[in-house]
Amino acid sequence: MGRLRQKGKAGAAKAYVTRSAAIKKLQCSLADFRRLCILKGIFPREPKSRKRANKGSSAPTSFYYAKDIAYLAHEPVLRKLREHKAFAKKLSRALGRGEWSSAKSLEENKPVYKLDHIIKERYPTFIDAVRDIDDALCMIFLFASLPSNPRIPPSLIENCSRLAAEWQLYVMRSNSLRKAFLSIKGVYYQAEVMDQTVTWLIPYQFTQTIPIDVDVRVMLTFLELYQTLLGFVFFKLYTDAGLVYPPSLDAKKDESAAGVGSYLLQEVSQQPDKPKAPKVKVVEVEGRQVSGKDVYKTIKNLASSSSDSNSMDVDVPTAENDSVEIEEDFVMQPSKSDAQTASSLPTLQSLEALPQSINTSLFAPYTFWLSRETSRPIFEFLVRSFGGRIGWPSSSGGGSPFDESDDSITHVIIDRPVIEQAQETDEQRERRLKRKYVQPQWVVDSINAGKIILEAPYAQGQTLPPHLSPFGEYVGAYDPAAIANEEAAAEEEEESEEEDVEIEDVEAEDAEALKAIATAATEDAAALRAAELAAEAAGIDPSAFEKEVSKSRRQSKKASSGGVDEAETDMNKMMMSNKQKKLYEKVKYSQNKRNTERSKLEEKKKSLEKQKRKASKT
Amino acid sequence: MALNSKKRKQNDREEPSDTFNKAVDLEMLSDEEGENDIESDDGDVDDFPEINTGSEEEEESDEEDEEDVEDEDSDSDSSLHIFPKAKTIVSDITGQEKLVYPEIEPDYDSDSSTEDAPNRVGDIPMHWYDDLPHVGYDMDGKRVLKPARGDELDRFLSTVEDPTSWTSAFDKTAQTDKPLTAEELELIRRLYANENPDAEYDPYEPLTEWFTGKGKEEVMPLSAAPEPKRRWVPSKWEHKKVMKIVRAIRQGRIIPNKAKTTSQPQFYSIWGESSSSSAPPPLPAPKPPLPTNSESYNPPEEYLPTEEEKKQWQETDPEDRERDYLPQKYSALRLVPGYDRFIKDRFNRQLDLYMAPRVQRVKLNIDPSSLIPKLPSPNSLKPFPTYKSLKVAHASVTRCISVSPDGAWVVSGDESGNVGLWEVNVGKEIKKWKFKGKIGSLEWCPRTDVSYFVVGTEDTLHFLIPPNLAPSVLQLTQTRPSPVKWSTPSSDTWTEDSAILYVHLPPSSGLPTQITWHRRGDYMASVSTGGSQASVWIHQVSRRHSQAPFKKVRGKVQLVLFHPMKPWFFVATQQYVRMYNLSEQKLLKTFQPGIKWISSMDVHPSGDHLIVGGYDRKLCWFDLELSDKPYKIPHTRNSGPFTSTQLYPLFASSSDDGAIQIFHSRVYNDLMTDPLIVPLKILRGHEVTSGLGVLQVKWCSRNPWLVSAGADGAVNVWCS
Repeated sequence: MGRLRQKGKAGAAKAYVTRSAAIKKLQCSLADFRRLCILKGIFPREPKSRKRANKGSSAPTSFYYAKDIAYLAHEPVLRKLREHKAFAKKLSRALGRGEWSSAKSLEENKPVYKLDHIIKERYPTFIDAVRDIDDALCMIFLFASLPSNPRIPPSLIENCSRLAAEWQLYVMRSNSLRKAFLSIKGVYYQAEVMDQTVTWLIPYQFTQTIPIDVDVRVMLTFLELYQTLLGFVFFKLYTDAGLVYPPSLDAKKDESAAGVGSYLLQEVSQQPDKPKAPKVKVVEVEGRQVSGKDVYKTIKNLASSSSDSNSMDVDVPTAENDSVEIEEDFVMQPSKSDAQTASSLPTLQSLEALPQSINTSLFAPYTFWLSRETSRPIFEFLVRSFGGRIGWPSSSGGGSPFDESDDSITHVIIDRPVIEQAQETDEQRERRLKRKYVQPQWVVDSINAGKIILEAPYAQGQTLPPHLSPFGEYVGAYDPAAIANEEAAAEEEEESEEEDVEIEDVEAEDAEALKAIATAATEDAAALRAAELAAEAAGIDPSAFEKEVSKSRRQSKKASSGGVDEAETDMNKMMMSNKQKKLYEKVKYSQNKRNTERSKLEEKKKSLEKQKRKASKT
Repeated sequence: MALNSKKRKQNDREEPSDTFNKAVDLEMLSDEEGENDIESDDGDVDDFPEINTGSEEEEESDEEDEEDVEDEDSDSDSSLHIFPKAKTIVSDITGQEKLVYPEIEPDYDSDSSTEDAPNRVGDIPMHWYDDLPHVGYDMDGKRVLKPARGDELDRFLSTVEDPTSWTSAFDKTAQTDKPLTAEELELIRRLYANENPDAEYDPYEPLTEWFTGKGKEEVMPLSAAPEPKRRWVPSKWEHKKVMKIVRAIRQGRIIPNKAKTTSQPQFYSIWGESSSSSAPPPLPAPKPPLPTNSESYNPPEEYLPTEEEKKQWQETDPEDRERDYLPQKYSALRLVPGYDRFIKDRFNRQLDLYMAPRVQRVKLNIDPSSLIPKLPSPNSLKPFPTYKSLKVAHASVTRCISVSPDGAWVVSGDESGNVGLWEVNVGKEIKKWKFKGKIGSLEWCPRTDVSYFVVGTEDTLHFLIPPNLAPSVLQLTQTRPSPVKWSTPSSDTWTEDSAILYVHLPPSSGLPTQITWHRRGDYMASVSTGGSQASVWIHQVSRRHSQAPFKKVRGKVQLVLFHPMKPWFFVATQQYVRMYNLSEQKLLKTFQPGIKWISSMDVHPSGDHLIVGGYDRKLCWFDLELSDKPYKIPHTRNSGPFTSTQLYPLFASSSDDGAIQIFHSRVYNDLMTDPLIVPLKILRGHEVTSGLGVLQVKWCSRNPWLVSAGADGAVNVWCS
């Protein structure tokens, strides 16, 4: 006989614990438990059977994996939290007794926890970390824009704004911004870092007030984690890009509200001259491998370039030449120079080899001037990420590289209605004519389009074309752009129909008869013949008759085939199992919902178009 | 030593204050003495003769002498003092100074408290005398009357006139105002001024050194215990502890006066080395959905909500909203206001991250039509009935029909007692019988050599012979079911209108709702409604014998059925179907279709499959050799009876909504292949009356034709 099975000793009852049981086991307060969960990324699970997991009770509770909780019990942060509890007690006692000196020494030795190990645990590889920084970036940018209050110390805000600036600097430097979207919530940006798309949202520059139903403690705990995470991620990103982290802050510029510009990016000038022995070894190996490949590659390249130069006369693009030269150089290097530079070169080459679908130097030939009513942080970031130069008036902050009178300015980003300037000097006029005045949306739409789009529809004072999301929607969703294309076609058709109407009016009385005949005639050939004769007798145009016949044929075909199919499928549905049937209905439901949404938008569009046309006619 | 020095210090400090105090005292005393002298008698001085003598005898120094004089002065009034004044004298025995208090003389006069107490009530609460004219009794037992007390006006006048009134207090025992003595006043004043009540008390008396001081050092120790080592040897353990700390500091484990911990976290290359843990990384949290066109600050106009949509959005709870914002359009970027729910949005996202249970779901990206089973097209499975060819109308609800074994004739019976015989092709009614009461069931005998059918009415089964039979058949029919035991009208009296044979079921057995024949046509089973237990009867026509096969049946029998080949008998109660072997007389199997109320049952012509239908629109397909659980449950509209044909692989099911559904059911000889059930067609043509649709369907035996009887009184024939 097997061992007796006891209830609650195995299975779901063992695998899950309720939250209160978890707190009891960890011997901490609910707030500490919450903090631990946030930091460690532990979240409740949904057991298959709540009743079985809760030992027969169906009370509403949240469940955690028992393993997760056991794992939390060994967490160093938990120990620190307990120490902090003791510390708080001691401190309050010292303060209560007026023992200031001991309170001070206690305060100095306050237990502080570090989250480094948690970062390593939660994100074992760098890619994992980069994939998960979306929320962190959103929070950092939000807190960078918050006013300080007793709960949010200014040092925290300062740190957040520093991290935010570091991220923007990195994105600008690495040209990794891909898309931007001006929404009603703020500005969405999407960058591609380490082949991961990172999307973040920055609110517009307005003072945010924290609503009362928001628990700031939760947000601060998240922020604690996010600050550490971003610190490590940025460190890695900067060092990989050969930059010094953290970038040094120019206090003078910072005071003049230069924003991102107040940080100085420094290249790591000289590698430290004491590389560890094993590292050198690895590098050497890499260098050798790469060099072997590259020799082959360069030979090939050389051959092709020589053939090119043969076939084409002189017009070999200089850029190509340069690249070839670079490659030549870099093949030579591993043999003669030290191994480290050699190791850095293949990565450069591989970076270049990456397919670059997006033109990251979109704005490189242009110089922008920001009008004072536009938001400098947004457009400075956008333009500089795509290689443009940008300047701004001192009212938007210091650090502008040039002033308004600069001749190199090609575009002025302006967001105010056109005002006739009565007195304009010749110089001003000339300048105005030389420059292109565009509304801010032009910049974002150009970025999303991946090319410089026409400035005319975005000119100052123009009604802007709609701003669409570059992120797209699900397949088969309503696409306003596609509809616009179809619209044109539809209009043409309509026009032709209108022409037809005139003809049809003449034959209006005959049409009814014709239709009846035609529908009857579709059934078989003999009837068709008879009908044709009848039509002729009635004096109907044969071409019109043929049209009608084909039309009715199509219709009948559609109706019959559709009807039969539907009846059959309806019948076949009966043979589905219960599970399949439920699934089928679910899928159908969501499909219908999408379809109705789509059709609703299309209808709205149509009615709007009609109204517009009417308005234009009258 | 230390103690001594402290005491000395104290003395040094106290001396000047002492003198000062005394001086003050003197002054005050002098003031008082004036009064005292007036009041007190001379005898006061005599009160303390001993002290005087004692002091005179033992005074040595001049200073002391003077002091003593003063003391004497003060002594004079110390008799009235509560605290008698102590005197410092030099002891004879020790040669030291000592304090001597005046002795209390226990003579009659000494106790002044008893001296002039006119009232002898004792220490009792005086309010006992509140309502009486006297206050206690004197020595002679006479009442001591209360002294007259003036009214408020007198009292007021006395305060004005009498200068001593403010220094007098009410004496309860005497019930009069008594002036306070100067001592008492002084006492009050001192208490009032927070001073020691005793004017003579000296808080800074000079220290008397008993055991200390020069020449008085203790020679002998107080305790005989040897002095412990710890008094002079430094502690080893303390040394160890200190050394531990010293070592820690040397090794750098403890940094004394270390700089405050920097709040700035130090970053380093955390992902430098390859990850050591082999565990898979935790699943990343799902990313929030990316913004769509409707979130744009300048969306296409069709995205803007109408007034209705706006109102609807505002009325729904924030949790139920499909999107958490209302699309808005601004003509310029500078007009876009701050988003007021930004922080709330972020907070909700964080709540999702740490509080929401995450479930991993496989995203189904399938075409829903691929879920529908692919079945052969009905067109390839022809013939089956597709249209209504004719309709025969009855006056009332037609509950039962039966098709003759040759498939040419149909009998139908309705609730008003009419039984009609008509031809299938044309619908021409040949003959009509009229019975009393409802017709419960009808069934044609499946034999082909004879031709008759059974009609079940209340308590009776009628055996009827259709008209216009071939003479040989008629002959055989009349002879073979020789009506012997059962009530048989004589063959002479038999006409076409009357039955050839009656079976009278036991009284109160009710209406036979079902009659079913064995395939051979000899046995017939009937199920009646009314009977308590013996509602099932099996009749053998050739022997004119009826028997109830079951003594007791659990549940109410709905239907019975003979197996076409084997001597098996199916009995359907409300929820179960039992299969009995009639020859061995035992239960073979119980099927559990899981239907609430079984409405119909049929055996597939192959004899291997049983189809059971229920009123709850379920249809179960059983394999007789396999499980007692249904093999397949197609979702049908079936709720009424259904039947299957002998010749064609078809079965039909009828329902209460007036539709008949035709199924193709093919059973393969190969045991491995599952039977194929294909729904073919839904035939509509019966109207629903009083919630009932089609009541019975029967197949014609030769053709794939279907005859159906409905609650609307129509009997329809459906042809292919």
